[in-house]
Amino acid sequence: MSVIVNEIRRATYLDSIVLMRLSRQIAALPGVEEAGLITGTAANKDILRDAGILGPEGETAAPGDLILALRAIDAAAGAAALAEAKRLLDRPAVPGAPVSADSPRTLRAAVRDMPDANLALISVPGDFAVAEARKALDLGLHAMVFSDNVPIAEEAALKREARARGLMVMGPDCGTAIIAGLPLAFANVVPRGDIGIVGASGTGIQEISCLIARAGRGVSHAIGTGGRDLKAEVGAITTLMAIDALDADAATAHVVLVSKPPAAAVARLVLDRVGRSAKPFTICFIGAADLPLPANARAAPTLKAAAELALGRPLATRPLDLTSVQTARGGSVRGLFAGGTLCTEAQIVFIAAGLPVASNVPVPGAATVNGATVGHVMIDLGDDAFTRGRPHPMIEPAVRDAPLAAALADPGVGVILLDVVLGYGAHPDPAGHLAQALAGRRDGAVIVASVTGTDADPQPRSEQVAKLEQAGVMVADSNADAAALAMALASPAARQRGAAAQ
Amino acid sequence: MTLASDAIDTASIALRRRVVPIVRAGVLAREMCRRGGRGDVAAVFARSLYVRIGDEFLCIGEPGIGNGPLTLIASARISGLGLRRGQAASIAEQCIVIGDLRFDLDRCETWRRPRWPGPIVRLGDIGAAIARRAATQSPPDSLAYALFAANDTPLARIARPRVACFAAWLSEQRHDSSCPAQANAVTSLIGLGPGLTPSGDDFLMGALALLDAVGQTKIHAILAQAVTDAAPTLTSPLSACFLRAAAAGHVGESLHDAVASILVGNGDAAVAAARRVGHTSGWDMLAGVAVTLRIVGS
Repeated sequence: MSVIVNEIRRATYLDSIVLMRLSRQIAALPGVEEAGLITGTAANKDILRDAGILGPEGETAAPGDLILALRAIDAAAGAAALAEAKRLLDRPAVPGAPVSADSPRTLRAAVRDMPDANLALISVPGDFAVAEARKALDLGLHAMVFSDNVPIAEEAALKREARARGLMVMGPDCGTAIIAGLPLAFANVVPRGDIGIVGASGTGIQEISCLIARAGRGVSHAIGTGGRDLKAEVGAITTLMAIDALDADAATAHVVLVSKPPAAAVARLVLDRVGRSAKPFTICFIGAADLPLPANARAAPTLKAAAELALGRPLATRPLDLTSVQTARGGSVRGLFAGGTLCTEAQIVFIAAGLPVASNVPVPGAATVNGATVGHVMIDLGDDAFTRGRPHPMIEPAVRDAPLAAALADPGVGVILLDVVLGYGAHPDPAGHLAQALAGRRDGAVIVASVTGTDADPQPRSEQVAKLEQAGVMVADSNADAAALAMALASPAARQRGAAAQ
Repeated sequence: MTLASDAIDTASIALRRRVVPIVRAGVLAREMCRRGGRGDVAAVFARSLYVRIGDEFLCIGEPGIGNGPLTLIASARISGLGLRRGQAASIAEQCIVIGDLRFDLDRCETWRRPRWPGPIVRLGDIGAAIARRAATQSPPDSLAYALFAANDTPLARIARPRVACFAAWLSEQRHDSSCPAQANAVTSLIGLGPGLTPSGDDFLMGALALLDAVGQTKIHAILAQAVTDAAPTLTSPLSACFLRAAAAGHVGESLHDAVASILVGNGDAAVAAARRVGHTSGWDMLAGVAVTLRIVGS
C-alpha cells in the first residue's frame, strides 16, 4: 500500500538548479511513485496536495522551509527513499567544499609548493582572469585561461606581453588542451603519439584526437588557443607560437590546425608560417573555401577528414543496418548539439550535399534559424544564448531535454541528430541521461548520434554507445558520419521505404 | 580576560582577515549596508551567498551572476571562500565581516537599473512570440512551460486557472483602474512553484517590470501594493525581499534587459537576457511579461 513521507528542513534555501536535480534524483529512487522538493508556501502545498504527496507534517511547513514530499509503494521503500533523500540533501551545497587548509590560495604559494610547474590553469570570473594570467606570466608560467568574458583588446594585449616573455597564453575561453598526455579541462584520455593539434575549437580538438586514438594512433600535444585567436584583433599570436612549438618538437611528425575560418589576413599569416615548416600539416578551417595552401599542407573540410589526413588513411566506418529503420514522418533533420564545432561540421556535411540548412550559429551558406524556420536545423545548445546562467550541456545534459522533447513532438522532424561528448569535465553519464529522456517514446523520429570519446575516458565510450543503442539510438562512428546518416535517412527515398514498411 | 587582551585579540583577528573587494553594489544592497546591523549567512551556493539581516536579504556573488538591486558583486570565487550557512555577519557602510573575511565596499560603484527605453517602438505580437518560444525552449519544470506548453502536471493544473484569474483582473484594471486588487488574483500566485524564488513570484516580478516600463503607473501601484502586503506571509522571506524590491521599481539587470528588449521589438534579445537568470526564474519572469503584455500591450 502506498505511503506518503514528508520531511521539513526549516529555513533552508537551495539553488533552483540544485532543487531541480535533487527532485529528479529523489523521484527516480527505487519504489518512489511521485516526489517533490519545494518551498513550504501555501501555494506550493496546493501543488503537493494535488499531486497526492502532502502529509500532515508537510502541512506544518512555513514559507521559508523546504518540504521534501514523496509517495512510495510501501513503508520500507518510503523509509529507504527518505534516508537516501536526506543523504542527498546533506551533501555539501558547494561543489568541492570544503577547501583544504593546505590548498594554496595564491599562484605564488602554488609555485612555492610546486617549483617545477610551468603552466597555470586560470578559471576565475572573466573580470579577473587577465590579472591572474599576468600573475602567472610574472612567475614564468604559461597560462591556460579557461575563463571567458574577457574583452578582446585585453586578450590581444595579454598575448603580446606573454610572447615578449617567451610564454604562451592559451585562451581566454580555452576549454580543451592535452599537454604531454595530460588532459586539461574538457579533454579526453588519448594515447601519446606523433600527431600534434592546434585548435581554436574545444570540441574540434576532442573529436579529432578521439578519432585518432580510436584508429590506434596518438597525440603529442593538443594546444588550445581560445576561440578568438584567429581574429584580426589578436592576429593568431597563440596559434603561431603553438605551431613554432610543435614544429620544434621532435615527437611531433604531423600537425593539425582546427578552427573556424580566420580573417583573410590572419589566414595568410598562419599559412605562411605553415609553409616554412618541413612537417606536413592538415588545415581544418571548418567552413572555409579556397585556402591558398602551401605545398606541405592539405585542407580538410570536416573534423573526420582532418583525422583521416593526419592518419594518412581513411577511417573505417562500421556498417549500420538500415533495413528496419522506419522514417515515415516528415523529412527534416533536427540537430541538437552540445559541441559547437560538431554543430558546424554537421552544417558543412549538409551544405556539401547541396541541402539547405539553418542554424543558430550558421556557417557561410547556412541560414540563420528563427521561429518560422522549417527544414533541416542544427542547434548549438552550448551557444551563449543557451548557457548564460546555466550549465553547459556537456556538463548538464538536461539542458537538451526540452528541445529534444519538442523535436520528438514535431511531426515535421523525421530524424534527430545528437552528439554525446565524453571525457574529463563532461557529465558522468550523458548517454544514460539521454536514454532516460528517450525511454517510453513511441514510434517517431529516428535518433542518430555520435559519441566523442575513448574507452579510456572516465565514461568508457563503448559503455556509453551500448546505453544509446539499447535506447534505440543509431550510433555512428563520427559526428560527420552521423550527419551523413541523418541526411540519408531523411531523404525522400528513405521516407518512402519507411512508409512502405508500415 | 582583560579589556587590553580583548583589544589585542580583536586587532590580531583584524590583521589576519582576508579582504575581498566588492566591485559593484546594487542600490538597495548599498542602502542596507549604510543602515548596518548584524545578520547571518542564510545560504551558500556555488557562485553566490545570501546574508539575512532581519527580514532583508542581500546577495554577494561573482560577476557572472549579474547586477541586481540587492546584489554585491565580489571579486572572488565564492565557492573558494569556505563560507557556511549560519555564520554570523556584521554589516557596516564600508564592509561586511563574516568570520575571517572582510568584504570591502570602499571602492565599489553603485548599480542602479537603467531607465527604460523610450519611446516604445512596437510591441506587436511579441508577447505571443515569446509564449511560443517558452513552449518549446523553457525548462519543463518552469511555470512558463506549465503555462504555454501542452502538458498536464500538478503545477500546470494549479497555475493555469490562477494566471487566467490574474489576466482577467489585469484586464479589468486596464478599463477601470479605480477598482481594488481582487485578493485572489494576485495572492494566489505568490509563493507558487519551484525554485529559490518560487515561479509565481518571478512571474509577478516580470509583470511589475513590464507595467513600470510601459508607464501603466496606476495598475503598477495597485499590483505593487497587493504584492507588498501579501508577500511576507505567502512566500519565503528571501523571495519576499525580491518581490518588495520589484514592487518599488527595482529589478535586476537581466530582467531589465529582457523588458527593454521587448520594448524595442527584439524578442531574441529578451529571451537571451531571461536565460541569464537562474534555472527557471528568467523564463518565469518572461511568462509574467508575456501575459501582462497581452493585456496592456494592445
